[in-house]
Amino acid sequence: MALKLPERPEWTDVVPVPQYENIQPLAPIFYSPEYKDATDYFRGIVKTGEKSPRVLELTETIIRLNPAHYSAWQYRYETLITISASLELELVLTNALTKASPKTYQVWHHRRLLQTALCDPVPELAFNEEVLKADAKNYHTWSHRQWLLVHFDQAELWAGELSFVERLLAEDVRNNSAWHHRFFISFETGNTTRTRDDADEAVRRELAFAKERIALAPNNASAWNYLRGAAFAELYVVDAVEVGTDDVLDLENPAPSEGAELPCAAAIEFMADVHEARGKEGLSEAVKYWRSLAHTHDTIRKSYWEFRIRDAVANAGAT
Amino acid sequence: MSDTLLIDLHVQYIRNLGNNKDDLSYHMTAHRLINGVYWGLTALCIMKHKEALDAQETIEYVMSCWDDEAGAFGPHPRHDAHILSTLSAIQILATHDALARLNATRVVDFVLNLQQPSGVFAGDAFGETDTRFLYCAVSALSLLGALDRLDRERTVSYLASCRNFDGGFGRVAGAESHAAQVWVCTAALAILDRLDVVDVPTLGWWLAERQLPNGGLNGRPEKLEDVCYSHWVLSSMAILNKLTWIDSSALTRFILSAQDPEGGGIADRPGDMADIFHTCFGVAGLSLLGYPGLDDLDPVYCMPASLIERMGLKTGWKALPRREG
Repeated sequence: MALKLPERPEWTDVVPVPQYENIQPLAPIFYSPEYKDATDYFRGIVKTGEKSPRVLELTETIIRLNPAHYSAWQYRYETLITISASLELELVLTNALTKASPKTYQVWHHRRLLQTALCDPVPELAFNEEVLKADAKNYHTWSHRQWLLVHFDQAELWAGELSFVERLLAEDVRNNSAWHHRFFISFETGNTTRTRDDADEAVRRELAFAKERIALAPNNASAWNYLRGAAFAELYVVDAVEVGTDDVLDLENPAPSEGAELPCAAAIEFMADVHEARGKEGLSEAVKYWRSLAHTHDTIRKSYWEFRIRDAVANAGAT
Repeated sequence: MSDTLLIDLHVQYIRNLGNNKDDLSYHMTAHRLINGVYWGLTALCIMKHKEALDAQETIEYVMSCWDDEAGAFGPHPRHDAHILSTLSAIQILATHDALARLNATRVVDFVLNLQQPSGVFAGDAFGETDTRFLYCAVSALSLLGALDRLDRERTVSYLASCRNFDGGFGRVAGAESHAAQVWVCTAALAILDRLDVVDVPTLGWWLAERQLPNGGLNGRPEKLEDVCYSHWVLSSMAILNKLTWIDSSALTRFILSAQDPEGGGIADRPGDMADIFHTCFGVAGLSLLGYPGLDDLDPVYCMPASLIERMGLKTGWKALPRREG
């Protein structure tokens, strides 16, 4: 805007409402003149309930200066609907705002409102992937993606996700958000397009996948958490003892890769759990592993490993 | 680098926030201002300097944030009401024994009307949903003595749907486990006396795993340490009675190293700029770890423990014993 709002003839009919009128604030905020004008005029049009194209211009100014101004977003959306503005055009603008402020809650909620109205998930998923390129762990981006999948619940959308996640894990095998998303698409009950056979196949596939990734880079908390999660996924009841000793979870295959940093604390922990699950016979082995963690391999969590020892000994004594 | 908590400096830092005309720091912008006051006041209470911010002025400021149309509080005068600011308002008024100043009936209605069919809460009319807002609702109703008006079953069932395979909780059902969301879900369950929904061994372990070699805590695997997790993670562990599972001296050293030894305040990590948010949560973490000379914090409400106990709202959490200074 070249001219300031108070100087523009097309805005003279609006009565701006200042922030501090008859109020003594505890900690006054000192705004830039442009932001002050925009929000004063915003309060003015809200007071009269105006919904018009110039309101879109005004709210855009505000949210560009302060993307967290949730009232401006809300009023903007109401205006868009009331004046039947083009939501497709709004999406184009929102894409730019999303890339500018990807960590703002409000911009993602606005996308959700727009998509609920537009119902165009395929390009939305593509845009989502673009935003993840800039920050592969952005919590809002992933959460929005999960919402899209469940909200539209279309087989073609779900189907593309496995290869998408594999692409991201290939770039960073320690991306916890990607691992979480993988669990979500493999086991999430919100996918009504999946069959019982798909679910069983998912457990087998996921256990194998997790083990392969662990063999490549064993010091990866996300992958180990995933392995446990997949083994105990509610859709497929697996006996805890079986997991340790059965071929279903063949612990020798695959072997760790050449460059793997060993020994790996998470693997030691896993072995301890396997032995603990065997009951009295496995106790001394489990304690040996936990001791090595407490004293050598994961000393920062010494208290936790000592708790595991006490707890297992007490339980074994009780049986 | 300091190895003690620079209390006087931090008290001064908090006092000065109202006076600094050039301070455009993110946490003091209008959309969080009432939250900033709550963080400042809570930090002062823990450091036993509650009087450093004038009580009357603070109460009047909170009341000026009242949005009469909505029947609740906004983050700053003439801003629309939101559940985040409403909880902060309630917490500040409770801390100053001034809950009688607000219209409890209207606030309770505002809160209850934000519950969605699934059980989650929206933050305001904009409709954004988040377990943070669910926690704000449960805590607000509890502090106002109106928890009986809540649809507990719907609320608890939504929380259960947010529990992930790693024992953690996310922002909404299906979202990744994140320490801040773990805290809001666990604390809400504690208030509702439904900690049975938590897989305690798995979540306790997930929380202990947040500690990095430098002693600091992160919010999810493979992310950076940040002082604010000293609150989210520690409070969650205190609620689950698992605070002994982390190395408290290493964490204490980390928090102290994030102090600004000149201007006061605490930053997200050593070397960064201090802000009121991290000052509050750094001090909160130290209190839970038993740092000498501090007052007890209730990890469920993130408010002075003695106040919550007086209000009859104390639950079965356990902090580390207070050390002699």
